[in-house]
Amino acid sequence: MTRAHASIWTLAFLSLTAATIALFAARNQLGEAHVALVFLLVVLGASAAGGRVLGMTTALFAFLAFDWFFLPPYNTLLVRNPFDWLVLFVFLITSIVAAQLLYRARSERAAVERAEALREADKLKDALLASLSHDLRTPLTTIKALAHELQPLGDERTFIIEEQADRLNRLVTNLLEVARLEGGALPLDIQINAADDLLGAVVQQVAGRPDQDRLKVSLDDPATLSFGRFDFVHSLRILGNLVDNAFKHVPDTSPIEVTGGVEGEVLIFRVSDHGNGIPVVERDGVFTPFYRSTAKASGPRSGGLGLSIARGLAEAQGGTLTYREHDSGGATFELRLPAARP
Amino acid sequence: MSSLRTCDHNGMPSQTALVIDDEAQIRRAVSHALSEDFAKVVEAATGADGLRLNALEKPSLIVLDLGLPDLSGISVAEEIRKSSDAMILVLSARHADQEKATLLDAGADDYVTKPFSTLELKARVRALLRRASSHRATGTTIRHGTLSMDLDARTLLRDGKLVHLTPTEWELVRVLMTNAGRTMTHRQLFAAVWPGRQYGDAQQYLRVHVANVRRKIESNALDPRYIFTEPGVGYRFAASQ
Repeated sequence: MTRAHASIWTLAFLSLTAATIALFAARNQLGEAHVALVFLLVVLGASAAGGRVLGMTTALFAFLAFDWFFLPPYNTLLVRNPFDWLVLFVFLITSIVAAQLLYRARSERAAVERAEALREADKLKDALLASLSHDLRTPLTTIKALAHELQPLGDERTFIIEEQADRLNRLVTNLLEVARLEGGALPLDIQINAADDLLGAVVQQVAGRPDQDRLKVSLDDPATLSFGRFDFVHSLRILGNLVDNAFKHVPDTSPIEVTGGVEGEVLIFRVSDHGNGIPVVERDGVFTPFYRSTAKASGPRSGGLGLSIARGLAEAQGGTLTYREHDSGGATFELRLPAARP
Repeated sequence: MSSLRTCDHNGMPSQTALVIDDEAQIRRAVSHALSEDFAKVVEAATGADGLRLNALEKPSLIVLDLGLPDLSGISVAEEIRKSSDAMILVLSARHADQEKATLLDAGADDYVTKPFSTLELKARVRALLRRASSHRATGTTIRHGTLSMDLDARTLLRDGKLVHLTPTEWELVRVLMTNAGRTMTHRQLFAAVWPGRQYGDAQQYLRVHVANVRRKIESNALDPRYIFTEPGVGYRFAASQ
């Protein structure tokens, strides 16, 4: 017990003792109501200052003092008038309830203050990351813009400069995403969204690619509308990362299938390719940051963050991202999100 | 008041643009990109300076960076909107979808995400200019691709065939088509289709109706050609070029 705590307890007992002595001195002029109310005041004061346990303890001792000193026959715990038992017990219950109420009000306030502090910390984190994002993207913008201005002059190297700036941008985006996920500063905007909408957005994202026709998007049940409770931007990122990986790791003309459908309480999106799949030994590792597959991959490497970010984003929304082997031997990634009915 | 064309009768650019960004290199790149379509481009490095120049030069286009050192992008956009109809194009970093939506709601007309290519920037600016001049379009029929909307008769034809829309679906398509090329935030669309209703948690109605409408007007609802999704921000009806 801390010193401050100990002194409050001492003060409470001193108050109770003082009250008892004062009331005792005027015992013949006072009625039971006077005693009960004065003691109640002491109990309330003890609860407010020292918490629930002190309040209850003071109530108990006040109860005993009340019975012993102020209810005939005096100096015993017996009570002559049966209605006095009522007085005693109502007093005890009132004290206890008051102590409990005070305790509850205080802990609620403490919880509110804690939540406030957490929110402030999150806002600070978010502001820092936004500032970092701005500072990293600004020079990239300049590089890209200048490379673009030089393009009409005919030097092919300007295309490479722009391409590398894009690559750097992707890495920056991934790193910031990881920072947000790890730091718990991920803004979540969970709403009821349509599966159609998400799948369409994936198609939109792939639209610039020369091999965009490889992407085949479909609904398990085209006749109905399926909805889920998720963050649209994050889920788009997950599917986008999975699709990008498929394009990168299966560099041929085989189709990449993305499907969506409801199974029970779950909305499932599947991204499947017709490559060689992921060997059993690597199936857990691929979801860890900076994992580098031992299998060959063509095209620019993203530093192995795509899958770990995808899984992090899935879990942040209350969903899961898992791997399953395809019948044809390729890879299937399953994103599960809570289904919803609008 | 902004004019609706940037060129005078000789085909020469005649209007002013304002670039507000604290990075000198970005101001230079953006000014360079705008020089083809605007006679005069002025630059400001702070929000306060930008507002001062806006009042002085009365530009018809303002390119506004969100990461200004002195004022927030929203307050600058709101301040400009108080006295001007100028087109506002916002430069934002990614991961700021909430911010983008808030800015569009506050009066910005479109946004470009950094790092952007100057080609993208020019395309957005030109789309804004086209949109501004087409506001003058008379007549009550709007055509985009295979869709033809008759505002008086309140009918929508697709490939010449009538599309059956519920009153709410009609309102939604009408708002999107009359604002073709412009990103409309979820909030703006909701307010237009369900005026007076609290936005709150009825946003899902918007999504349900958009999904239904897509199934009626798109040949493939999963590969839209008319109603595009702007993730985290809203929807945009594609303007025919």
